[in-house]
Amino acid sequence: MSENAIEARGLTKRYGRKHAVSDLSFDVPFGRITGFLGPNGSGKTTTLRMLAGLIRPTAGRCTVLAGPVPGPTLRDVGTMIEEPSFYPYMSGRKNLIHAALLHGGVPASRIGEVLDFVHMDQAADKKVGAYSQGMRQRLGLARAMLWQPKVMLLDEPTNGLDPVGIAEIREALRAIAAQGVTILISSHILAELEKLANSVLVVERGRLLYDGTLSTLLNQLQGALVTYRLRSDDAHSLEETLRDMNLEFSRLDGDVLRVLVPQDGAGDLIGTLSARGIRLSEANREHDSLEDAYLRLLREDGRPV
Amino acid sequence: MNAVANVVRAELFKLAHKKRTYVLAGLYWILYPALVLIVGNVIRVNLAGSFIDGNVPVGTLLHELASPFGLARVALVGPGYMSPSFYMIIIALVAALLIGEERSQNMWKTTLVAQPQRLAVLTGKFLVAWLAFAVLVIGATVFAFLFGALGTTFLGTGFSGDWSGLLTGMVMQVLFGAAGISFAFLLIFMLRNVALGIVSVFFLPALLEGLYMAYATLVGFQPVTAFNAVFQFLRLQNTLEELPRYFFTSNLYAPSRGLVGSVLTDLGIPAEAGGGLLFSTLPLSHSAMVMGGYFVVFALLLAWRFKRHDVA
Repeated sequence: MSENAIEARGLTKRYGRKHAVSDLSFDVPFGRITGFLGPNGSGKTTTLRMLAGLIRPTAGRCTVLAGPVPGPTLRDVGTMIEEPSFYPYMSGRKNLIHAALLHGGVPASRIGEVLDFVHMDQAADKKVGAYSQGMRQRLGLARAMLWQPKVMLLDEPTNGLDPVGIAEIREALRAIAAQGVTILISSHILAELEKLANSVLVVERGRLLYDGTLSTLLNQLQGALVTYRLRSDDAHSLEETLRDMNLEFSRLDGDVLRVLVPQDGAGDLIGTLSARGIRLSEANREHDSLEDAYLRLLREDGRPV
Repeated sequence: MNAVANVVRAELFKLAHKKRTYVLAGLYWILYPALVLIVGNVIRVNLAGSFIDGNVPVGTLLHELASPFGLARVALVGPGYMSPSFYMIIIALVAALLIGEERSQNMWKTTLVAQPQRLAVLTGKFLVAWLAFAVLVIGATVFAFLFGALGTTFLGTGFSGDWSGLLTGMVMQVLFGAAGISFAFLLIFMLRNVALGIVSVFFLPALLEGLYMAYATLVGFQPVTAFNAVFQFLRLQNTLEELPRYFFTSNLYAPSRGLVGSVLTDLGIPAEAGGGLLFSTLPLSHSAMVMGGYFVVFALLLAWRFKRHDVA
């Protein structure tokens, strides 16, 4: 059996002459949380829909749990794609009962379990039409978990949630992943993804830009430049010296300068400044966040960001 | 089969939570027979002992309209002569709930993930719509019988009538409903707009048939003219003249409209007077074949389109 829960090979979707997704190939290993990144219109949702069997690829193929899509293995997939939708005239609980009946084989007790898991047990008997967006997101996540799927495809699951809600969903997803569920999750909140994902896929204009672990992405992009935060009592001299050394810098709040140094000369920076008579009161090497890495990746692709 | 059964269970659950289900049942099962009983009583009070056209006692008229058999028969005949037909109103509203709402509420992406077997989803929804139609029609007959039985206590009516003919008509009408449901599913799914779909279900067949009748009346197929020469040339004139025998609406309602003949006979109205009632004399076997053909065509088109549908 394949060690990948999801495999895509040459996945392509065209709408007329427009390529929504072009020749996308990637694997998502079992039991991992994989982040799916890309700007609006980059083909994330289209890809997730293809993986869920909702739209047919123009070319290429994908497998989920080693079965072709569409196919019977999709019964073990839970999804929340874009804003979750419900029958507004039924309560949250009844919407879940409907989905459970449709899928089949879901014990009645499971409804209460998932409602409890997303902290919706109190509001479950109100009509969905009266729910806030955050409540709908939670209920959507509960529905995606209903039949204990082995793979979850989640598209912006924290949209519309407050910080507490986001943290709760993050913990919930961690708990789900700990049970061995494979999660492919797209999000615009990169800091959240950074806390959650083991690896990332980055797409842009329907093409795959990066497929690998988060740490490799960060290291790879840090390879070109290293960022330092420097402070000196004599800020003017520090700026003059940095100009002399042809280093790019910007002023942050107060006297703190953010300096970009080529990787090969980074180790010598402090020594060189000291040799030139600059006394530093603060010197910190910054680590790239996923957001920095992501933005640089897109810049390298020629997209103005 | 399990997948179809799951869809049937889920959609019945949904149907049970929709008010329109109960409104339709209330109108058809309660309001209609209650109104007929009231009208029957007004006739009894004001016209007792009179004769219609000098030879049909009012008591006979009351029996034809408001006896258990009469009420049940009118419950089957009446909807077929309304415009739009009450049968199509039931079918269109149920189809809008089961098919149209999936789009208007953006639910296909949920439904087709919970149950990825698309043909099972379609089959299950179709069976539920058909079951709802059957329950409403059979329920109307049962309620009409019960109201009619109540009416016997003050209208002086009895239980006699051609019950086997009536029950055959009811069963056939339910079976013919399958073609109407596949037609409504197809239009509502293809048009991607519930309101437009419902309006089209009501009026598209009538519009097409009306255009044909207008052409047949104004231009005709004989003798050869500039307007109909092409049909003559293609030797299609006989087929075109026969076309009304294959119209959707006249065949769809054939079981219920066929019962009109017995009403006319019982009221002593000459059979030729019934000719004004559009195509009520089509043989049921012919209509069954025509509706079977419509069902197969609509169902295949729908299944083909649905299987290829991209959920955007």
